[in-house]
Amino acid sequence: MDAEGGRMLGVARRMLRRSDLAEDAVQDSFVLIWRKAHQFDATRGQAKAWLYTILRNRCLTLLRSADRETALDPSQRETASEEAMLDIAYNRLERANDLRVCLETLEPEKRMAILSSYILGYSHGEIAGRMGAPLGTVKAWVRRGLLVLRECLG
Amino acid sequence: MTDQSERSLRERLDEVVLGLACEAEVAQIEALCARDPSIARQLERSRLRFLALDETADVEAVPAGLWARISSALDAVDDGASPRTDAQDSPADQSAQILPLRPKPSVRHWRLGALGGLAASLLLAIALGWSLLGTPQPTVVAVLLDSDGQPVALVEGAPDNTTLITMLEAARVPQDRVMQVWTKPDDLGVPVSLGLLAAARSRSLSVSGLPRPRADQLYEITFEPLGGSPTNLPTGPILAKGFAKAPIR
Repeated sequence: MDAEGGRMLGVARRMLRRSDLAEDAVQDSFVLIWRKAHQFDATRGQAKAWLYTILRNRCLTLLRSADRETALDPSQRETASEEAMLDIAYNRLERANDLRVCLETLEPEKRMAILSSYILGYSHGEIAGRMGAPLGTVKAWVRRGLLVLRECLG
Repeated sequence: MTDQSERSLRERLDEVVLGLACEAEVAQIEALCARDPSIARQLERSRLRFLALDETADVEAVPAGLWARISSALDAVDDGASPRTDAQDSPADQSAQILPLRPKPSVRHWRLGALGGLAASLLLAIALGWSLLGTPQPTVVAVLLDSDGQPVALVEGAPDNTTLITMLEAARVPQDRVMQVWTKPDDLGVPVSLGLLAAARSRSLSVSGLPRPRADQLYEITFEPLGGSPTNLPTGPILAKGFAKAPIR
């Protein structure tokens, strides 16, 4: 199960792009998990999903917090490597995975917008900046993409 | 937020899961979930749809110091102190609003819900246990709780009945007493001693001749006279007890 901690670190690093912050996020998440464990309801959710939700929320808070400064500014990050990260993630989804099957049906820009938000923690505005598209368009991509996914995933 | 009434709830839930919703929106959704379990279930379903993406992340090597830092951060939480020592970052509480929860849970909560303590400790066991202890995967894991529902010890039972006891908090062992660890391999049978814990420290105990441990097996720690229970059955007060779970692989 060391893998789970390592995986959590990997998720955090993908979002935060800095190993020190990723470690902080994992540490904070464990504190939150410890504190909130009494609220975890096994009948309502899977432990793993709960764990990753806490971690991702913590990463998002770090990403969106005002003091992140330039270290986390998306404009400072390398676009190419981010696209590569999304590709890697997408390709690692097993071919038979329902999410993969459904993502495949999306137009590339909608797929990219959705993956950028979940995997890289991008906001609508950051996706727009990265993809060079108007904010309204990006919001529409996401919404339509999500609609297709929901219908596809049932 | 004017257009939100027109947006479908499912879309809003999905955007919360993706991480696109603003704080106020997240808070609203959390409130809806707290009121309506069916909405909470929908949110959970949405989370599960995307969970596969988390599993595409690299499994990174966990730096040696990180688990130690996490352990001490958890100790600090239990002591009611700040979970973080470096004050430059925002406190962990900051993200509390993301979950439908009170931001200042305290030890009291643990006492209120032994079940919660169990869930907590199981998660910790799942997430921390093996890496901290560096042992082969146990067949069963039990979290022993005291009478207030506080987790006191983590028990990991291997198939050969090597039992690893990790004390989660310093037990106040009365003078001239030792802690003795017991289990009940047979629900209807008597407790069997797994060994003594002389110091309130984590350690591994070995005993032979017992069947392979199984889920729902009782484990407990009692205070016994030095040298162990004279009757070979628990005689002293129970420090903590719990039932084993088989970890999910």
